[in-house]
Amino acid sequence: MVRGIANWWANRPLATKGLVVVAVPLLIFLGSVAALYAISRQESRAEQDVRLTIAIQNDVNEVHALLAEASSGVRGYLLTGEPRFLEPYQRAEQLVPQVTRRLRGAIRDAEASAHLARIEALAGQKREGLSVLLAARRRTGADIVADPTIAAGLAANKQVLDALRGEIERMQERERELLAARQDRLNEVRRNGLFVTGLLTLAGLVGSLFAVFLFSSGIVRRVQRLERDAVLLAQGEALPEREVGRDEIGLLAVRMTEASALLRAREQALREGEERFRLVIEGVRDYGIFALDPQGHVVSWNTGAERIKGWKAEEIVGRHFSTFYPGDDARERSMRNLADAVRDGRTEDEGWRIRKDGTLFWANVVITALRDEGGELRGFSKVTRDITERRRAQEALEHARQEAEEASTAKSVFLSRMSHELRTPLNAILGFAQLMELDRSGRAGSEAASIDQILRAGRHLLALIDEVLDIARIEAGKLGMDIIPVPLGETMSEAVGLSLPEAESQRIAIIQNVGHQPVVAADRRRLLQVLLNLLSNAIKYNRPGGEVAISAAVRDGRARVEVTDTGIGVDPEQAGDLFQPFTRLAAGAARTEGTGLGLSLSRALVEAMGGAIGYTPRADGLEGACFWFELPLAAQTSTPEQVPAKAARAWPAASRRLTILLIEDNLANAQLIEAVAARHWPRAHIVNAMQASLGLNLALRHRPDLVLLDLHLPDKDGDWVLEQLARAYPDLPVILLTADALAAQADWASRGAAAVLTKPIDVAALLEAVDAALGERAQ
Amino acid sequence: MIPPRSATDARILAIDDEPANLALISAVLLREGYSQVETLTDPRQATERHLAFGPDLVLLDLMMPSIDGYALLDSLGRLIGPDDLVPIMVLTADTSIEAKRRALALGARDIVTKPFDVFEFALRVANLVELRMMFQRVKAAAALS
Repeated sequence: MVRGIANWWANRPLATKGLVVVAVPLLIFLGSVAALYAISRQESRAEQDVRLTIAIQNDVNEVHALLAEASSGVRGYLLTGEPRFLEPYQRAEQLVPQVTRRLRGAIRDAEASAHLARIEALAGQKREGLSVLLAARRRTGADIVADPTIAAGLAANKQVLDALRGEIERMQERERELLAARQDRLNEVRRNGLFVTGLLTLAGLVGSLFAVFLFSSGIVRRVQRLERDAVLLAQGEALPEREVGRDEIGLLAVRMTEASALLRAREQALREGEERFRLVIEGVRDYGIFALDPQGHVVSWNTGAERIKGWKAEEIVGRHFSTFYPGDDARERSMRNLADAVRDGRTEDEGWRIRKDGTLFWANVVITALRDEGGELRGFSKVTRDITERRRAQEALEHARQEAEEASTAKSVFLSRMSHELRTPLNAILGFAQLMELDRSGRAGSEAASIDQILRAGRHLLALIDEVLDIARIEAGKLGMDIIPVPLGETMSEAVGLSLPEAESQRIAIIQNVGHQPVVAADRRRLLQVLLNLLSNAIKYNRPGGEVAISAAVRDGRARVEVTDTGIGVDPEQAGDLFQPFTRLAAGAARTEGTGLGLSLSRALVEAMGGAIGYTPRADGLEGACFWFELPLAAQTSTPEQVPAKAARAWPAASRRLTILLIEDNLANAQLIEAVAARHWPRAHIVNAMQASLGLNLALRHRPDLVLLDLHLPDKDGDWVLEQLARAYPDLPVILLTADALAAQADWASRGAAAVLTKPIDVAALLEAVDAALGERAQ
Repeated sequence: MIPPRSATDARILAIDDEPANLALISAVLLREGYSQVETLTDPRQATERHLAFGPDLVLLDLMMPSIDGYALLDSLGRLIGPDDLVPIMVLTADTSIEAKRRALALGARDIVTKPFDVFEFALRVANLVELRMMFQRVKAAAALS
């Protein structure tokens, strides 16, 4: 029950609680005021009763006194007959009814009323008796004694007065009783009032204390508890689950408990994350990962570091990391690395490091400076890899490369020597054979035939040597290729032209498809060699009176050349060996005298130019062979047809009578320019000055159409001459010549130069510049 | 004053370590009518013989075992000096373009690869002899004036 109320109280909102706390003492205070008011009302009424009783008593006494005085007055009058004795009687006649009326209004007590009624009656009798006496006196006069009625009346009056007196006494007795009772009551009321006041004071005190207690228990204590909880929360400790009310403080407590739970969950997650991270770092085997303090002492260590360096964590933590550096200057080098990391944030180094057992390993080390949010250096992280194996592999690779280079060089030297060694004896053989041939007129026919054989065999041997050496050079990468854009059609025509005599001797027609002329990226001489080779084969292995067709096309971004013959073709089984050295097809072997290296050499050449070569049977199904090769197209899009068009352009300078002033101290350059001028501008007059001052004079005298000015003259700077010329002849175009490429970059246009040419002079650029300058001037 | 001479009087010095080649060269030159041909198989004596003989044309083999042919070419060129013109024809079995360029850059007037065609060789020799004769005539004319 009490617990239920406590819960109910705890669940009230703070506003209600405040109202209750304020209202309890206030209500008690209001009750006290009401009680005091009621008590004072009772008291005043009791006092009024007492005062009324006293007034009644006075009135009763007055009635009694009036009647007694009236009675003695009447008696006096009776005796003396003097009217002044009648005054009390008259006053009583007048006042008694007033007083009795007043009494009747005041008296509430029944007994007193009864007494009063009787007193009134007796007073009436008395006044009546007195009036009877008075009437008798008037009748009888002075002799009152003689009148019996008077005596009788006096006696009766006396009786009435006694009765009245008795009655008044009783009534007064009654009133005294009443007064005593009322005074007792008044006293009681006053006592009661005192008690109630005391009681109310006590109640007020208790009520206030109770309200304070309520406030304290309901709010203050819980707020204090909350404050303690907040301290716990601030210290990151968990808050206990507690029964709390549902008012604002209770809700606050609930929120704080929730916050505490959330904090704890997060803290745990963080701890688990850190733990995981630590486990990962510690578990890494291939990388030595550890941390250094700002001075370079090891503060953490992982499995990888232990594996690589051989130290256990407990052995190395706290030691300086210069321990890992070999040599006497370990400390300096290690601190230099740290300084680099501090300066650049990070530093990477490769070098020998030392293990616990003293052995060395080649390490890749990355040191990163660790800074807190304020930028304060907190230490370093160091990641070490043992790349000894990789370094060994690299060294082995380097060694292998060097060996290969040496081998290659040796091969080149060998080729060169071999060429020399083979050619030198051939020189003598062929040379003397030629001499003998020249003198054959005096020789026998058989001797002449022998000389012919020597010459033929010697030439064949020479061709063999050349081709073997070419192939060897290509394989050694020693054959210098000069890859330039080559118009394929022209080269094909040239090859066909060169092959015609051989073809004609065999009565074989060569058909060239010149429809398309792609420009290929190739070495022109080598391309011609390949074409001649294929044409030569097509003629050699053809039937007499046959045909050779050569065509070019562009396919998939490459130029493809096909050479087709009308011979017996190639046995498909042998097609694969075609490009192997010294493969000669059985059918042709008997009558052909090739070296057997032609196709191998062609393949080597085409491949060296980035192309491909191959054999296919004729696509049209006829007898015969088709050899093809492909070469990459030249990136340059300009076709050679455009070149003559450009060259044929009419130079404006060519048709005019010109005076050109050349200020140039280098004779060779002057001669070059004069030679160019003589060819391109036959009507030009060249005036040459080797010095700046002379040049200016000549400019004045000859009024040239154009000045060519060298910037480096013996007497003055060309710069100065340009300034003078620009001032004197603002319309005169000046073309600057300089060997200083940097000077050529300057903004000469703003100083009046028409163009700047760098030496050595490019003739085409010179022509264009002169043409542009003169063309501009003509407009 | 240098007395005018006919082309066949030209003094020709042939240097080659291979006697067969020298024999061939001699045979060809003799056949062409040149009467003053000296041959030398030891290139180390080249400068000495050059000074002693005073040739009008030098035929030099570039590939010889005891000496670097290019160095010899260079030193012969210096020996002749800038004011004189004694053509040097290089004979080499090295057909590479680099070898040709290098020899020509070092002052060779002509280069013939071995094995050479004897007719071509004879014509080239005749050209160089003509060059030498013309130079001498110009020089003589300059000396006269």
